[in-house]
Amino acid sequence: MIAIPLHFDLPKNLSAKKFINKLSKNLDIQLSNQQYTIKILFDSFDWRLYNADIICEFNHSNSASQLSLIDRNSGKLLALENMPDMMRFTDQFPKGRLRTTLAPVLEMRALIPLCQLPHNAHQLNILNKDQKIILRIQLDEHELIANQLHLYPLKGYDKALKKVTNILQNTFDLNPTKYSILKAGLKLEGRKPKDYSSKFRININPDMRADEACKKIYQQLIQVMQFNEAGTLADIDTEFLHDFRVAVRRTRTGLSQLKNTLPTKEINRYADFFAWLGQITGPTRDLDVYLLSFKKYKEVLPISLREDLTPLYTLLKDKQKHAQKKLTENLSRSEYRTQLNDWETFLTQQPITKKGKKNGIHLTVKQLADQRIWKVYKHVLKEAKDISESSPAEALHDLRKTCKKLRYLLEFFQTLYPEDDMKIILKALKKFQTVLGDFQDYEVQEINIKQFSEEMMANKVSPNTFLAMGVLVQYLDSMKCQARAEFSNQFALFEQAENKHIFKNLFSNKFSVKK
Amino acid sequence: MKIIATYNIKGGVGKTATAVNLAFIAAQNNFKTLVWDLDPQGASSFYFRVKPKVKGGSKAMVAGRRELEGLIKATDFENLDLLPADFSFRNLDLVLDARKKPTKRLKKLLTPLTHDYDYIFLDCPPNISLLSESIFEASDILLSPIIPTTLSLRTLEQLKKYIKDNKLNHLQLIPFFSMADKRKKMHREIMESLAEEHPDILSTAIPYASDIERMGWERMPLGAYVRKSRATEAYMALWQEILGVIRLT
Ligand SMILES: Nc1ncnc2c1ncn2[C@@H]1O[C@H](COP(=O)(O)OP(=O)(O)OP(=O)(O)O)[C@@H](O)[C@H]1O
Ligand SMILES: [Mg+2]
Repeated sequence: MIAIPLHFDLPKNLSAKKFINKLSKNLDIQLSNQQYTIKILFDSFDWRLYNADIICEFNHSNSASQLSLIDRNSGKLLALENMPDMMRFTDQFPKGRLRTTLAPVLEMRALIPLCQLPHNAHQLNILNKDQKIILRIQLDEHELIANQLHLYPLKGYDKALKKVTNILQNTFDLNPTKYSILKAGLKLEGRKPKDYSSKFRININPDMRADEACKKIYQQLIQVMQFNEAGTLADIDTEFLHDFRVAVRRTRTGLSQLKNTLPTKEINRYADFFAWLGQITGPTRDLDVYLLSFKKYKEVLPISLREDLTPLYTLLKDKQKHAQKKLTENLSRSEYRTQLNDWETFLTQQPITKKGKKNGIHLTVKQLADQRIWKVYKHVLKEAKDISESSPAEALHDLRKTCKKLRYLLEFFQTLYPEDDMKIILKALKKFQTVLGDFQDYEVQEINIKQFSEEMMANKVSPNTFLAMGVLVQYLDSMKCQARAEFSNQFALFEQAENKHIFKNLFSNKFSVKK
Repeated sequence: MKIIATYNIKGGVGKTATAVNLAFIAAQNNFKTLVWDLDPQGASSFYFRVKPKVKGGSKAMVAGRRELEGLIKATDFENLDLLPADFSFRNLDLVLDARKKPTKRLKKLLTPLTHDYDYIFLDCPPNISLLSESIFEASDILLSPIIPTTLSLRTLEQLKKYIKDNKLNHLQLIPFFSMADKRKKMHREIMESLAEEHPDILSTAIPYASDIERMGWERMPLGAYVRKSRATEAYMALWQEILGVIRLT
């Protein structure tokens, strides 16, 4: 039932007043409202709304504030809600269409402002002889960008729409355009859509020297850390720290798996540094994960026990706050800054051209990638084959780590290989990693919930809370066992002939080390 | 979705005023609302400043050659649409009679609209005929304004009998007092005695008010030109009371 509005960009020299005066010559226009309004556009840091073709704008004036979601391609209004204040997370929004549209797209990510566009919003009505409204027009007189015009057709009054668009065309030389507010607003900020993505992708020339290519990879990773550092410190949402940590882990995998490409002294120094960085960011992330899972935790409990879990939430929240504070302290230390700056400087230095003995320098990146991926892949297979029903949990944990290394290597060098093949094996590996990840996560959560309950003993918590946590531990344990039981199936899937063939085909037997 | 017909066999009792003003309140409360002006005189179309004209007239409409959807006009108020009247509606009886199952026809025409609206108000002309039967068939609620006069008791009883005799079990009759003048002794007395005999009459009465009479001048629903008055409060209370007694299902 919502008609699609038509949008027009007005030329720079055409003020609202001039425009209305000129239009009044042909039409009976009533100015029904005029409001100084601030429009703020929002998206998540990783452009989730943009990727879903949604524009999210908050229009705030003295008399009203509204959040609207607009289809980026058609300009159609998807949802609109009166909201006195802008919220960061979808679960803070009132229940309704807006929330159900946003929630699956945003998940845990916060909405952050992209740009502010102050303007004077004029509501105009076009009237017929009976003084009946036959078309609504909004004219936004902007301070920073070109003025915009929006026509909102009314059901049953198509002729009026046609007439006005004709006038706009003939008298003003204006044609409908795409709703361009986002583009204009971002330009103002010197930004472009999708200037950040948490997916790692880097284009490397296969003939590039291995050490140069590795530096390029590290450079991109340090950029990801820098991008996410501010959001981590400000505790905007959990994904900043998450992406930060993934970049740290990727760097560490690089330093251990591609170590011959850099001088040993540097490798050792920075391996220590990034290990430290991984360590000090760990506790906050762990607690974030518990808090993100909390809704799920509640759902697995019988309804009568759900509210009894609240003291656990309070404890987790307190711990998270504490951990975040410590994390902020660590990331504000000058040692951290110095080390990171040194690493950045080191990466921009000219590579050593001296013909050394070290392998890495003589290889092309393609050769290095073939070697390393093939080797780690074989490790994965061996470790997985050695696992039996009676193997200890550690064996699966070790395999999980090896798989992660393989995953990162595949992602580093993804563009060196045919896209379709890479898609297949990355998907297979991801699926295999899921079962390993689940197994470990459930185990760690089970152990920690038990630990938390011990801590809570001291706090005079109601017995039902412990009962609820007991049920939760049982659930986690059953999920862990389920993951363990699934392992062999999942490995069989990963190990299937098609995947094996691709791995072999892409990465094996191609070592042609230049002598 | 509920279809509410404002109905009384008598003319000039406030059927149109009720349909227009209640529809306006429903729309203001964010319910998607449609008023269908079934009266060839086009009073509700007039109040919304919409020309009482339907392409193809009643024949094309009843034949289903033109989907109702395409005949709808947006009013000046958010969430509130109008299906205008047409002079040819004076023959609606004959046109309906020419169809198979004439009394089921309106219901069938309305079916596609039931997804688009929360409330559809049918503003009915005063008469008892094939069109009325069609309206009874299509509606969930028969909202009947009653002017407190001695005659109105008989009209209400006739209507109840008709509903009973024809086993219109789906239809909920909601009577209420319209144009009530508390200063008139007769009005007060009739209202008291009627309310006793017919406890289903709503306790909210719409008073006789010059505010309401002015609708014809202003050409808009009462709430659009009077912010707050005895009359606006009465319509608001009436709407709340109706929401309270509407049968679910
Ligand atoms: N409560 C009221 N107080 C004063 N005037 C009223 C009131 N209700 C309706 N009127 C006026 O009385 C006249 C008849 O009202 P209305 O058109 O609503 O009745 P109706 O039952 O729809 O009439 P018809 O049978 O002709 O369709 C109109 O001029 C209207 O403005
Ligand atoms: Mg009428």
